[in-house]
Amino acid sequence: MGYIGGIQAKRGVGASAITKKKLEAVRYKEHGNELAMIQLDQLSGQLETFHSHLEKFAANHKQEIRKNPQFRRQFQQMCATIGVDPLASGKGFWSEILGVGDFYYELGVQLVEICITTRPQNGGIIAITELHQKLMKTRGKYAQDVSIDDVRTALSKLKLLGTGFTLLGTGLKQIVKSVPGELNMDHSAILELAQKSNGKVSHADVKSVYNWQPERIQDVLEHLTKEGMAWVDTQTPKNETWYWFPALFGVGDNK
Amino acid sequence: MGTTSNFRWPWQYDFPPFFTMQKNADTRFKQTEAWCSLILDYHNHHKLFRLRVTDVLASPLFYNKAIDRRLTKPDVIEILSILHKKGNIEWEDKEKTVCKVFWKTPAQWSDIIFKWVNQSGLNNTVCTLHEITNGPHSSDQEFYALDDQILMQAIQILQASGKAELMGTEGVKFFT
Repeated sequence: MGYIGGIQAKRGVGASAITKKKLEAVRYKEHGNELAMIQLDQLSGQLETFHSHLEKFAANHKQEIRKNPQFRRQFQQMCATIGVDPLASGKGFWSEILGVGDFYYELGVQLVEICITTRPQNGGIIAITELHQKLMKTRGKYAQDVSIDDVRTALSKLKLLGTGFTLLGTGLKQIVKSVPGELNMDHSAILELAQKSNGKVSHADVKSVYNWQPERIQDVLEHLTKEGMAWVDTQTPKNETWYWFPALFGVGDNK
Repeated sequence: MGTTSNFRWPWQYDFPPFFTMQKNADTRFKQTEAWCSLILDYHNHHKLFRLRVTDVLASPLFYNKAIDRRLTKPDVIEILSILHKKGNIEWEDKEKTVCKVFWKTPAQWSDIIFKWVNQSGLNNTVCTLHEITNGPHSSDQEFYALDDQILMQAIQILQASGKAELMGTEGVKFFT
């Protein structure tokens, strides 16, 4: 390079200046690409290292991941950060070494069983806290600890299989619906209201809280009754009709 | 009689709508089935073999004081007619004021009694009817204090299949 510049310099300042700039631009571009290549190399190297570190970590903390719901959740979040899904089904490091995929599959099966056996009683809806309680009972005291988050994760996996599980509401008050059929925002609103008063609502309650038209209230209550989720009670103090939800009755008490 | 305490009420018993006959057909079915089971379990636990409709309306079985809910007489009659179809009750009068309650059918009783006879080695001996249901060797048995008429029906079933023979009005001999 220097030699060329040297020869060019002998010809004159103007020509060499332009060419120099051109050459510098070319140099910079190629060097810029080189830089990017180096950076990419480094990054993918880092990712590979990170990935293998994660695998090592998982193998070393297998028991912890299996036993401790909080630890498990943090580990999953860590994986999500680098775009790894430890719950991906099928063969591979994750499902074989960790057995995590199987873990949620197993939970899913148990949850489905609980929903099926309680369906005659609650019409296909169950409070997530009750579902969790029953799951713990099914698994017994020697089984791994399972959190409500684990229940949600297992349910979302089930949803992917198209088994029609839906979560209504938020947080600990969530209700799991395991039957097909229409449950819209209005229905959810009534369920939410019922949860606050030991599983019962009256036409008047709904009116005073949501201020809906009478026909709308009647429609929703009738639908929920028809679906077998609500029972009708006419022996009430003011002779109004009360609608009780077995799914939300006595939840929180020792059932 | 049996103890009123320690009878385990099913979850429905404390559920207020359980005492309102549901209009929804599926729910109605679940409700009546639950009532049928409850009535039989209740009579089983308290060793009751007879039900008088007017009496039972005011009893804890059909009136849950704690939640102030009760079944009406028409409701009770409806449920009893379902039990009748199932063979678990027998009306004693045309007016349907009193009925016998078979929390086990006479056929079921005959099986249980015959099993006990075999286990106790009482085959080919003569027992009195009284000692079967009130004897010292049956005090821990389900059929202890069983109603006389039901016992007789059970023995007659065994007799019909050659497993027993009535001896007079008080005795019975069991075969192997």
